[in-house]
Formats: sequence, C-alpha cells, structure tokens
Amino acid sequence: MAENKEQSMSNYKVPGMRGPRNRQVEKPKEGKKTLLRLVGYFASEGKVVAFLLAVVFVVVIASVYAPRLQSDAIDSISRLEFGQLTGILATMLIVYVIQSLGTFLQGKNSAILSQRVVRKMREDLFDCVVNLPVKYIDSHSHGDIMSRMTNDVENISNTVSQSLSSLFSGVLTVIGTVAMMIYLCPPLALLSCTTVILTLAATKFLSKAMRTFYRKRQVLLGELNGTVEEMVTGYKTVVAYERQEAVIEEFNKTADELTRAGIFAEILGGSMGPVMNVINNIGFVIIAAFGGYFAVNGVISIGIISAFIVYAKQFGRPIDEIAQIYGQIQTAIAGAERVFAIIDEPREDKSGDKNMDDAKGVITFENVNFSYVPGQQVLHNFNLEVRAGHKIALVGATGSGKTTVVNLLMRFYDVDSGEILIDGVNIKDIDCRNLRENTAIVLQDTVLFADTVKNNLKYSKQEATDDEMVQATKMSNCNDMILRLKDGYDTMLSGEGYNLSQGQRQLLSIARAFLAQPKILILDEATSSVDTRTEKRIQDAMVKLMENRTSLIIAHRLSTIQDADFIVVMEKGRIIETGNHEELLAKQGKYYELYMTQFSGNAI
Amino acid sequence: MLAPLFMLGEVSMDLLQPRFMATIVDEGVLGLSHGGVGDMSLVISTGLKMIGLVLFGCFCGVMSGVFANLCSQNYGNDIRKDAFRKVMSFSFEQTDRFSTGSLITRVTNDITQVQNLVSQCIRGFVRTFLLFAGGILCMLTLDLSFGVVVACALPLIVICVIFFISRANPMFTVLQDKLDKLNNVMQENVAGTRVVKAYVKEEHEKERFGGANGELVGTQLKVLLLFSYMTPIMNIILNVSVVAIIKVGAIQVGEGSVTPGDVMAAITYISQILNAVMRMTMIFQMVSRGVASGKRIKEVLECEPLISDGGFTGETAVKGKVEFRNVSFSYPGMGGEKVICDFNLTIHPGETFGILGATGCGKSSLVNLIPRFYDATDGEVLVDDVNVKDYTLSRLRGKVAVALQKSEIFSTSIRENIAWGDESADDDKIRHAAGVAQALEFIDSKTDGLDTLVTQGGHSLSGGQKQRVAISRAVLKNAEILIFDDTTSALDLKTEAKLYEALQREYACMTKIIIAQRIASVKDADRIAVIENGQLAACGSHEELMESSAIYRDIYDSQLRQ
Repeated sequence: MAENKEQSMSNYKVPGMRGPRNRQVEKPKEGKKTLLRLVGYFASEGKVVAFLLAVVFVVVIASVYAPRLQSDAIDSISRLEFGQLTGILATMLIVYVIQSLGTFLQGKNSAILSQRVVRKMREDLFDCVVNLPVKYIDSHSHGDIMSRMTNDVENISNTVSQSLSSLFSGVLTVIGTVAMMIYLCPPLALLSCTTVILTLAATKFLSKAMRTFYRKRQVLLGELNGTVEEMVTGYKTVVAYERQEAVIEEFNKTADELTRAGIFAEILGGSMGPVMNVINNIGFVIIAAFGGYFAVNGVISIGIISAFIVYAKQFGRPIDEIAQIYGQIQTAIAGAERVFAIIDEPREDKSGDKNMDDAKGVITFENVNFSYVPGQQVLHNFNLEVRAGHKIALVGATGSGKTTVVNLLMRFYDVDSGEILIDGVNIKDIDCRNLRENTAIVLQDTVLFADTVKNNLKYSKQEATDDEMVQATKMSNCNDMILRLKDGYDTMLSGEGYNLSQGQRQLLSIARAFLAQPKILILDEATSSVDTRTEKRIQDAMVKLMENRTSLIIAHRLSTIQDADFIVVMEKGRIIETGNHEELLAKQGKYYELYMTQFSGNAI
Repeated sequence: MLAPLFMLGEVSMDLLQPRFMATIVDEGVLGLSHGGVGDMSLVISTGLKMIGLVLFGCFCGVMSGVFANLCSQNYGNDIRKDAFRKVMSFSFEQTDRFSTGSLITRVTNDITQVQNLVSQCIRGFVRTFLLFAGGILCMLTLDLSFGVVVACALPLIVICVIFFISRANPMFTVLQDKLDKLNNVMQENVAGTRVVKAYVKEEHEKERFGGANGELVGTQLKVLLLFSYMTPIMNIILNVSVVAIIKVGAIQVGEGSVTPGDVMAAITYISQILNAVMRMTMIFQMVSRGVASGKRIKEVLECEPLISDGGFTGETAVKGKVEFRNVSFSYPGMGGEKVICDFNLTIHPGETFGILGATGCGKSSLVNLIPRFYDATDGEVLVDDVNVKDYTLSRLRGKVAVALQKSEIFSTSIRENIAWGDESADDDKIRHAAGVAQALEFIDSKTDGLDTLVTQGGHSLSGGQKQRVAISRAVLKNAEILIFDDTTSALDLKTEAKLYEALQREYACMTKIIIAQRIASVKDADRIAVIENGQLAACGSHEELMESSAIYRDIYDSQLRQ
C-alpha cells in the first residue's frame, strides 16, 4: 500500500534524487504478544532466570540497606558516640561485599542468559531462512531479510543483556527504597515523591520530542547509506557519465539534512542529563529544607537526612534508567516482531515419501498453469514430455516462461494446477530432498561462496575425490584456468567473486553441477557469458556425461541448443513449436525466424 | 570552530556543579548541626540559592550540549562529505583495492563511529575529567586527611582500569571479525538460496551457521564476563573508600577538626571521583573503537587519486577515432600478468567495430582503457589523435558513452536512469533514445511508464530490461564514441537486430564499438577484431575473416554449425 503512495508521489522528482528506501517506523504493532513470545525464550532457561532473579533480589536488599547503615554511622558521629561506629562500619563492609558479589553473579548470569537466548534465536531464525520457500526470498528485499537477521537480533541481544537485569533491579530498588523511606519518615518520603512526578513528566515530554527527531535521523541515515552503497557499487557508471559532482551534491544535501536532524536529536537527548540533574537537585533541596525542618523539630535525626539524600538518588536513578531503556526496549520489541514474522512464515513444503533414485528421468508436464502474481498467468496449459536420456532445449524471447519451467521442476515454486511427473510420479509425492539431490542446476546468476575453489566445487558432492573434481573441471573447460590462479584449487574466492570474470564463474558452477552426476541436469542460460568455442567444448564433454541422463537447456543463443534432441519454442507461456533443429527449420516458423536473425545476418 | 567557546561553558558548569553540592551539604546540614536548635532561614535561603545555581547549571549543561553537538555533528558531516567526495574521485584501481564493501562501511559505519567518538570525547571526557579534578580539589579543601583515602583508592582503580582495558580491547576486534563472518554466511544463504536448495545443503548450511554463531556468542560472552568482573571490583573499591572516609571522618570529628557535614560532603565527593574514573573507562573503550574506525577513514582520505587530469580541452580535428599504440596492460596487484599485450589497432570515425574473443581474453579490459577507467601500463591510447592522458577527464569521458556488461541501474525512476546520459534532455529525447534501444515497448507496458520506480539493484527489472535501460542511457548521451561491453547478451536475437538497425539509422556517424559473444551481433560490423590472450589475432570484415582467420571460422562454426 505504502509503495503505491510513494509511487504517486514520485511524479515530481528533482534530477538525481533517489527513490524512497527502506523507511521503517519503529513501533511494535502487537507489543504484548511479541513480548510474551520473547519471554518464552527465557522460560526455557528457567534455572538461570530464577537464579538471576534471586541474585538481583539480594543485591537490591544490600543496596537498600547500606545507606541505612551509613545514616547510622553519621548519626553516631554527630552524637560523638564512636563506640558503636566500628561495629556499624564492619556491618557496612559485609553488606558491600555481599552487594559486589551479587553484582558479579548478576552480571555473569545475565551475560550467559542473554547469549544463550540470542544464540537460540539466531539459530531458529536461520533454520527458518534456509527452509523458506524461494518465493518468499524472491519477493522480499534481501537487504531487509539480512537486516532482520543481523541488526534486529543484535538489537534484541543488546537490549536483553543490558536492560533485563537493570529493569528488574530497577523496579525492586524503587520498591525497596520507597519502603525504606516510608519506614524512616513518611512525610519526607511523600515529599521526595514529587521528584518522581517531575522526572516522569520531563522524560515523557523530552522522549516524545526526541522520538520524532530520532526517527527522522534514522530515515535519513538509511537514505544516506543507501546512496553510498548504490553509488559505490555502480561507480563505473557514475564515472562513465561524469556524474560525480551531481552525486556528491545529492549526498551532501542528505548529509546536511541528516546533520541538522542529528543536532536536534542530540541536543534534546543531551538535555535529558542536565534536566534530570535539576530535578534531582530540587529533590535534594526539598530533602535538605524539610529534613532540616523536621530535624529542628526533633522528628528525625541528621543521619536520616543523609540516608534520604542517598535514597533519593538511588530511586531517581532507576526511574531515569528505565525511562531511557524504555525506548530501547520498544525498538527491540519491534525488531523481535520482525524476526518472529520470518519465523512464522510457512516453511517450504518438502513432504513426499517416494524417491527417484532409480528413476530413468522421464519428465512430464501435464496441463500446467502457473502465475507468480495472481492474475498474471505465466504458463498456460503447458504440456510437455521429455524422454529419458534426451537433451531438450527451451528457446523463446525474454519473459516467455522458460525459467519458470525450471522453477517448477525444482519445486522452487509449486504449480497452480496440473501436474509435473517424473517417471510417472507426481513430484509433489517425491521427497523434496531426494528430488533435488537427483537434479543439478546451473543458473545464469552464478552463486559462489567465499571459500576455496575446491570447496565450492565439492559443494555439490562432499564425498567426491580430487580426481573426480579435476575430471569435472576438465569437462567444463576450467581446469587450466583454475591452475593459473594464485593457489590453484586452494585459491580463496572473494565473497562476490570479484576476482573472477562472469564467464569464469559460470564455468565453475558448471563444473560443480557436473561433479554431482545428477539424473537430470538443468542449464538455465548457464553459458551466456562463455564464448561459443569454449561452450562447444563443454557440450562435447557433456554428451558423454549425460549419456542415459536427461538434460534441460535454456538459452538465447541458438548455437547452444542446436544439437538438442528436442527443441521447444515458447512464447508468452505457451509452446508454439517443437521438434529437432532440422524439423523446425523446415517448418519455417518462429524458430526459423529466430534462426535467420542469428545466422543469415540481418542483425546489424 | 566554536570549540573553545562551548568548552568554556562546559567547564564553568562542571566547576559550579560540585561547588553548590558542597554548599548544600556544608551550609544546609552543617548550619543545623551547628545551631543545635534550628536555623530555618539559613536552610531556606540556601535552598533557594541552590535552586538558582542548579538552574544556571542546567542552562550551562544544555548550552554545552548544543555546542558539543554542533561541533561533533558538523565535524562528522565534514568528514562524511570529504570521504564520499574522495571515493568519488578514486580510480578503479583504488576501488578494487579497497573493495566496494569495505568502502561502503568506511563511509557509513566508520564515520558514525568517529562522530560518536568526537561527541563522547567533548562531552564525556572533558566533563568527567573536570568532575574528577574538581572532586579531588574540593575534598582536599575540606580536610587534607581525606586525601589519604583518595591516595589509596585511586591507584587501585587506575590499575583495574588499565588491566580491563588491555584485556578487552583486542576482544573487540575479534568480535567484529566474528560478526562479519556470521553476516557473510547469512548473506550467502539469502542470495544463493536456489543453489543451497538445489544441492540440498540446508543441513550443511545450518552447521556452518551454527559454527559461526557459536564463535560469535562465545566471544561476546567472554567480553561480557570480563565486564561482569569489572563492575563489582570497582564498586567494592568505591564502597570501601566510603567506609574509610567515615572512619577517618570519625577520628577527625572526635578531634574536632571537621564537622559531620564535612564527612557527608566527603562521601559525596569520593563517589563522584571514583564514578568519574569508571566513566573514563567507558570512554576509553569508545575511543579505542573510534580510533580503529578513524584509521580506516584516514586511509580513504589520504589516498591520492591515481589518474591525474590532463589539461587538454580543445576541439579536435577528427571526431570519433580511437587508436591503440603498443598498448600493454596488467591489473594492479595481479602479479604483473599481462591481460593485454603489445596491442595495436586503429578504429576510424563512424566505424562500427566488433570485438570478439574468448572468456577472459581481455576485451573489456581493452575498452576500459578508452575512457581511462584504467591506464595502460605501456604504450598509449589516443582518442581523436590526442593521448587520453592529455585530456581533462571530463572532456575525454564526454566523448565516450559506455554501456556496461553488468548494467548498473539506480533506484529512481526509469526516466532518471536514462537521463543520466543527458541531463537537459526532455521527454521527447528520452523517448527517442529508449525507442532506439528497443526499451520503449516494455516501458510503456508499465502503468507508470517512464516514471516507474526501479528498486535498488534493479531487481524489479529483468536482465534484458536492465540492459535496454543502460543502452538508452548510453544512446541519449549522443557521444562521439559508443561502447557496448557485451550489453546485449540478455536480449533475444530479434530485439538485438532491431536495436542495431535503429542505431545505424539514427546515429550513423557515431563510432560504435561492440563487444559481443554472438557472431550475429557483430557480423555486419565494418570490421571485426578477434582477440586471443590479450593480442589481436585477426581483424577485418566478416567475409575477410571467414577467409583468413581460422579462429574466426572456428567461432563461426561453433555458432552456425549446420
């Protein structure tokens, strides 16, 4: 919905302006529900939680009790009764030791607890992500999914480890302190509470004002980072079109705006401290003045005033803290909500109990209909039978539905209606893992991992020997190229494979697929960046490899598919012609037309 | 900068703060204990005085916050702009060396870190230091004997701080590495989901992730545990000091040299001093993180652009001529392995020139030399009979329009993306260029037409559509030399044929350099060069090459086999 709105807004655009990007407002929608689930993660660590709470309890008692002792000590000094002092001081020391010990245990346990929870949460999330249907990943921005896995979990982790115990001890401290204050002198306690009201009012006002600016800053920061990412990634184009100045100008504009928002946000945030200070000091004055008044009238002792000063500080601090982490907690809950949203996504349906280990590789499409988006049908009543051991090719214009066929066969997507059968068995009934184990696929957009060449190749078959691997690379014509790399098969590939050209990356993924020795091999524009002579050598090698196996090839280049046993010409999700190369040429139809543009040369 | 000004504000505030703290304790409470019977008017007047001081302190605090912020934010903004400007002036050799990912984090995260460092330093460091020094001073003015306690506690605290910082700092670096590793696994899995699924590697990936996750959590736990030792130890030192102060105070009160009020003040001061030290620890941590980021930014800022501007802006007699004279080229940092070797070629004005060759033979590297994306290692490249190094970069690049193999589309409207070629172009011109590039049909099929927004990375467009937008952009630029670096690979043959036909018809006098894999893409070019291992293997028209070049025939056969 929001997208539509932004699109209509975009009619007016300053040249060079970016489109709106990842704008998120941080506010949990179902705070309570999410919080409960979050609590669920802690419930499984029950023992640690219980122990932690017990420790916090002890710490709070110690820190509430200590000022009391301090007040006694001062009193005994002012009364010049030094005899009791040693005893009081000894007790104080003991209480302090207990407090420190407790603080240590508290810190240690909350660290362990938070890390366990985070670890579990990350693992759960990742477990979901690897099992998400391809459809989900295709239709959501990768950046968004990534940010949920990194930023949001990190956020939750920080909040959990930082604020869990401080929240709990804060609440306990406030209760304990108030109780102690009432016990010592109810009227003075009541007066001290005026500070609380002031604190709450100030926090509410300031944080409300702050949130607007912080949010604005967050949005601008996201925009700025997006610009940097895009311009650095697309730097070649920026340079080729001499756009550096325009880009810099745009960047500067956003940067200035960000700075302005940042200054406001930070000034407001920075005022929090001094304002709290004022409130605390006002409390201080109230205690001193009224305490003095009470003391003069003999209601309380000086020691109690001293204790009250400590208490007033002690109970001002957690309120202050809770106010500060409140925002953080809200962000964390909003993050948790996004994390749970992924965890709640239905997983890929992998059911099915049949296996195809003995299948011959007959693939049948029966009346298959499919659409990615409802209402925009991509495949119409698609019927096709591929005989075992055949090499079949799909050709057709961009968007004619060739890749969709592969997506369905691999069960990356499921058909809307109709059936796909392998050796007469509906692929929905075949165990999804088994289906994919027996089918290897090479995509146009190659995916290589930041690992050694060897590990990348053996990704398809871990138990493969080095000999098998070299055989596969020889077949895909990349053995020589690999040997020329700095460390041969042990060369580390950089994450996005910057150190290899697109063609070289394609050769590696073909080798990877060859190594798997699949029953069915799918090449989806797998050689589009490979020159035709190398491609031909690979094809010659494939003939032997794919003997008695079925292969499915998608290509623009007709040379890639000319010697296929069966060629399917597709247009707008329908099959319009089938046959082998000679038959199709003889027909003088669509295929012939395509062929003529490539071969008889009216291209330029 | 306003640095000295707000520093002063900060200082005055910070010095005032402990002062009136002392006033309250001394005057208010002390007044009571002195009189024995109350002195309410003193309490009230002191109280009012204090509130006034507090408000003034608050004002100073806010003002110092304002100035500290102005300073740090503007400082951050300045380096951010400088860094980005610098990055935009890099040569590709430099961007390659830094790697895109690293450059992005440097300009974004690292700068935010440094900015935080600056604001923390100004506010936190100055403030803490003043509290610390002021606290000691006030304490000593109360009674020198309290100094003994401070003298004992301080070294202990300092030793603690140094110990923990030295242990924690290396851990932060490790932590960052582990986090990168984890993110990397996730990135690969999101981007490569099809491959992971196709090879049924979900379990394997989970294991890999579990490993990285375990390592990260382990390291993070270590850091947290270290800190769980630190706080209680600091606390105990602080509390023991308080006890010591009371004890010392008791003795002094017994001797009559100080009042109970002084003891209370002393307790406040000692906690202030020690708190200041603790806060200092936090700041040092932040500093060590910030400094690491600062170094990374400095590397960017200190990097001098390698490609320097020539001075030539004049008109040339010929327009659209490219000449390579004994050109050799090797990518920096690749051990000097030559990608292009002693290369000679002249491309004439208005010519349509095709370039064919095997994967990795140096075709792209060759055209990269024309707009000076890289500089030739040896020999010279001439455009319109002038060495490319003599042109100003903008003059040179104004003569060349390139559409790259990997079409870089930006997240804005299609119109904007095309208009990069010529900012002043009106709708007619843009539509015309898109028409030549065969992009008009798919653009018009979108509901918003030219205003359709492209998502980041161009994911909302198919490969062929992205290429056609990139081609429209290059065509719109209407430069003397048009270079297609395998830009038509995702187009089907019919569309490609139409594109070349339109290009020939509309822009006949433009020099067109076309890198391609398909013979059909270049077959009708005036001349075709076949490149093999960085050298010119053959050059001529299709017919000539069919006759004379075995390699060309081989390529032809591989595509046109009957």
